[in-house]
Amino acid sequence: MKTEKIAPAAAYLLVGVGAIIMLLPFYFMFVFATHARTEIFNLPPPLFFGDHFGVNLQILTEKIPFWRSLGWSLYVALASTALTLLFCSMGGYAFAMFEFRGKQPLFLLVLGTMLLPSFLGMIPTFMIMDAFGWIDQPRALYIPGAASAFGIFMMRQFVSSSIPKDLIEAARMDGCGELGIYWRIVLPLLQPAMGTLGLITFIASWNNFIGPLIVMRSPEMYTLPLALRSMQSPVNTEWGAVMAGSAIATLPLLVLFAISSRRLIDGLTAGAVK
Amino acid sequence: MSTPADHIPGPAAQPATRRRWRLRTSQVPYLLISPFVVLFLVFGIFPLVFSFWLAFQSWEPTAGLASMKFVGLDNFRFAITDEWFWKSLRNTAWLALASGVPQHVIAIPLAYFIHTGFKRSRNAVIGAYFLPYITSTVAIAMMFGTLFSTDYGLINLSLHALAQVPGLGWFFPDAPVDWLNRAENVKPAVAIVVFWRYIGFNTVLYLAALQTIPSDIYEAATMDGARRVQQFFYITLPSLKPMIYFGVTLSVVGGLQLFEEPFILTGGRGGTDQAGMTTAMYMYRTAFEFNDFGGASALSWLLFVFVALLTWLTNRAFRPRGNAS
Amino acid sequence: MKPLTRTAVIAAAAMLTLATAQAQQSITIAAFPAVDDIAKAAIPIWKKTHPTVEVKVVSRAFADHHTAMTTALSTSSNLPDVMVVEYGYVARFAEGGGLENLGAAPYNLQAQQAHFVPYAYRQGTSNAGAVVAAPADIGPGTLLYRTDLLKTAAVTEADLTQSWESFVGAGVKIKAATGAYLVAHARDIKDIVIRSDIKAGEGLYIDNKGKVLVDSPRFLRAFQLAKKVRDQKLDGKINAWSNEWSEGFKRGTIATQLSGAWLAGHLSNWLAPATKGLWRAAQLPEKAYASWGGTFYTIPKGAKNKTLAWEFIELMTLNPAMQLQAFKAQDAFPALVDVHNDAFFDQPIEFLGGQKARLLWRETAKKINPIEVHKLDPIADEIVNTELDKVLDQGKDIPTALADAKRLLERRVNR
Repeated sequence: MKTEKIAPAAAYLLVGVGAIIMLLPFYFMFVFATHARTEIFNLPPPLFFGDHFGVNLQILTEKIPFWRSLGWSLYVALASTALTLLFCSMGGYAFAMFEFRGKQPLFLLVLGTMLLPSFLGMIPTFMIMDAFGWIDQPRALYIPGAASAFGIFMMRQFVSSSIPKDLIEAARMDGCGELGIYWRIVLPLLQPAMGTLGLITFIASWNNFIGPLIVMRSPEMYTLPLALRSMQSPVNTEWGAVMAGSAIATLPLLVLFAISSRRLIDGLTAGAVK
Repeated sequence: MSTPADHIPGPAAQPATRRRWRLRTSQVPYLLISPFVVLFLVFGIFPLVFSFWLAFQSWEPTAGLASMKFVGLDNFRFAITDEWFWKSLRNTAWLALASGVPQHVIAIPLAYFIHTGFKRSRNAVIGAYFLPYITSTVAIAMMFGTLFSTDYGLINLSLHALAQVPGLGWFFPDAPVDWLNRAENVKPAVAIVVFWRYIGFNTVLYLAALQTIPSDIYEAATMDGARRVQQFFYITLPSLKPMIYFGVTLSVVGGLQLFEEPFILTGGRGGTDQAGMTTAMYMYRTAFEFNDFGGASALSWLLFVFVALLTWLTNRAFRPRGNAS
Repeated sequence: MKPLTRTAVIAAAAMLTLATAQAQQSITIAAFPAVDDIAKAAIPIWKKTHPTVEVKVVSRAFADHHTAMTTALSTSSNLPDVMVVEYGYVARFAEGGGLENLGAAPYNLQAQQAHFVPYAYRQGTSNAGAVVAAPADIGPGTLLYRTDLLKTAAVTEADLTQSWESFVGAGVKIKAATGAYLVAHARDIKDIVIRSDIKAGEGLYIDNKGKVLVDSPRFLRAFQLAKKVRDQKLDGKINAWSNEWSEGFKRGTIATQLSGAWLAGHLSNWLAPATKGLWRAAQLPEKAYASWGGTFYTIPKGAKNKTLAWEFIELMTLNPAMQLQAFKAQDAFPALVDVHNDAFFDQPIEFLGGQKARLLWRETAKKINPIEVHKLDPIADEIVNTELDKVLDQGKDIPTALADAKRLLERRVNR
């Protein structure tokens, strides 16, 4: 009987300790954001908050158009997420629930693109964007990303694991149109998946710097990662300001996570399937 | 796009006068995938083809597109006889396994535990585990550079403190570990960072998947006398299979393409004796430091072969008996 | 009156159009920190001579900038008017053929050759003789050392600089007396020793006939010295720009640093400001002359406003006032020899205990020999460093290591 009590307690302890370890580097990022760069490079580093945040913020906004870059990041990430969720849920549903010509090879091809590192595509992507006249435009960032191999793969798995085929059949027999099935039955059931994919897509777009590096040529159009990186010199970086920028850049992600986790985790109970 | 009334499937309860647009079930999939496919063909295929073609060329990019020279299979021949390529593959395989296996072995029970054990603080706990995924690479590079420092880093300090604990002490090294400067330590260091970064991501994936398992099955099982552990192995795991397949495939693919974490931890060089240089990093350096884009493309396609092979193996391992996946 | 009014209107319209057309002109400068600050600081002066031409400085992180420039050059599109290139990248950009020859007409930089520090000018010249890059600032190599640690160990500056052997010997004494490391990493010594005694027709790793030189005496000596330093525990195994490096300066556990002269400024500003007065600058041991970095201005062939771009480059590289301003503000050591006679060079540097180190660096700059570059230099660098790692960390035998390095490099040379 004692093991019944100790085991959960030990498990709680482990999970708790794990959570703290996960938190630590994140915590340090915020701590460093409030110190001057000489202090940051001390060993051991500062453990508690300092008083340098205002100065760091000032340096930050002087060196780069920080708030504007934040705005661009937000715009691109939102557009990217919306498009990706729409296209990938449609595509994932199709791959999971239907048979059609070319299904296997197409899916393999899509998966195949996941297997190639993105930086090799830099130059051809640059050529395409140049040909379209999309250089220096945010649409070059959010439109291509909507065809996310990861997204469609994930959606396909979710659909096949959480939506029974009989449900779709029943809906068809009840006279529901195909698009109606997608919109009114499949999508609601996919909420945890949409929440997860939305979150991941948003984060990926937010932290992406290779895309903007290729496409943006004016500092006013930079997204956050590119702008923050542009402050990093090999020898003379204002690390306090960079940390402050990185810390602020994380806040929208935290907010988004808080919102979506409530949907993800306290989400649907099994009853919805019935 | 209208269809003739007599092809409407299902109960033909629609009077011919109703002009409601109906889709044939067989047409629907094409419509559904078309936005994706269009974008994919425009933005995904060209880079793929370009990089494939480039693998057969010798190209120094700053000389412009016209300077490409066809060299046939030379890039591939060079890569296969290149000891750095094989070294990078060994590094990559080691790192992929060392960081990938613990991730899933721990993420699944962790997700289950959080799902069943934490009610009110669930969001906070999951949030804490998810934070590493959100942290920017700049911050990670700085943090871990500090943490892994030989003489002053917190990791070594903690290990030293733990080594003093009687009972546990024998397990921990006595002297400070030179993480980033000794070839054999660089790999574990990178593996730790990768594990730290993605464990939360995988846990969230599994947690989302756990939501879709109906709770009545568990209730029924409990009433039949099954304990939690049994329920985990006989109900949860099988239901999670599609997600595990997804997660493991991601880890395989991601692990074999590992680039960012080793890059930032070793300052882009791969560490002493290139112990932390993964194939993706070698590829990047071949392209942007050694200015050999043709060679880099060839490397990427060779890596692709490995990744495709392993993905296929994963697929075989997870295929449900009898069903098409 | 009508014809006159009409003429007036047309004339006014024409002038307005002309003025607007002129006012819309702008040039783009692609740079990275801290050169972007130097360029931005030049804008007020530029405006005096070019009031209608706007200057747009596009700044990216160092590596990002060169990646973006490589991408732009590869497709010859979206190129800036002025491209700032750092020393390490000049060679490959030059050999690519995508940059304008500034030595020839209409730029005629060749006529101004005498105004530049010799090796810097040479470094911006491609193997075909085209001057593709105009030097703006350089990094003359110097030995920065802690005079207080030397004093405790009863070692003089002469002991440090007379020869590499005496340098190492001094290191032993310093370690014994103060516990401080001689150098941050043994690799730093290797880097300088291989740059000494380069014969005519030899590049750093490969000569102009394609023969690989990594088993030549200078490499052997470099490896032996590095190994000796490691065996006697005189190096901290600390990589530059890491936390331990800056901490080593703060705590005085690194006694010397071989580096570009600009390091003194960084130590003073933020790396270790509390150690003010404890450092001195000296010549590199055994009268070695080397350079660390350097900034160059180039005009891509695909640039749109080449005339204006050239005028901007003239401002940044040939204007003594601008060069001096960059030196004072950002520690960018001028490549323009004309500036070297300014009184600023005579000023004592407080951080270095009042030493007039700029005079020393000025002399060093003149004596640096340009090294012929080869497109395989980055790979050769990596090969040699990896072999050195094996020698230092795994006890690999030096002749074998050099032989392996030679084999690996020859493989690539003969492709």
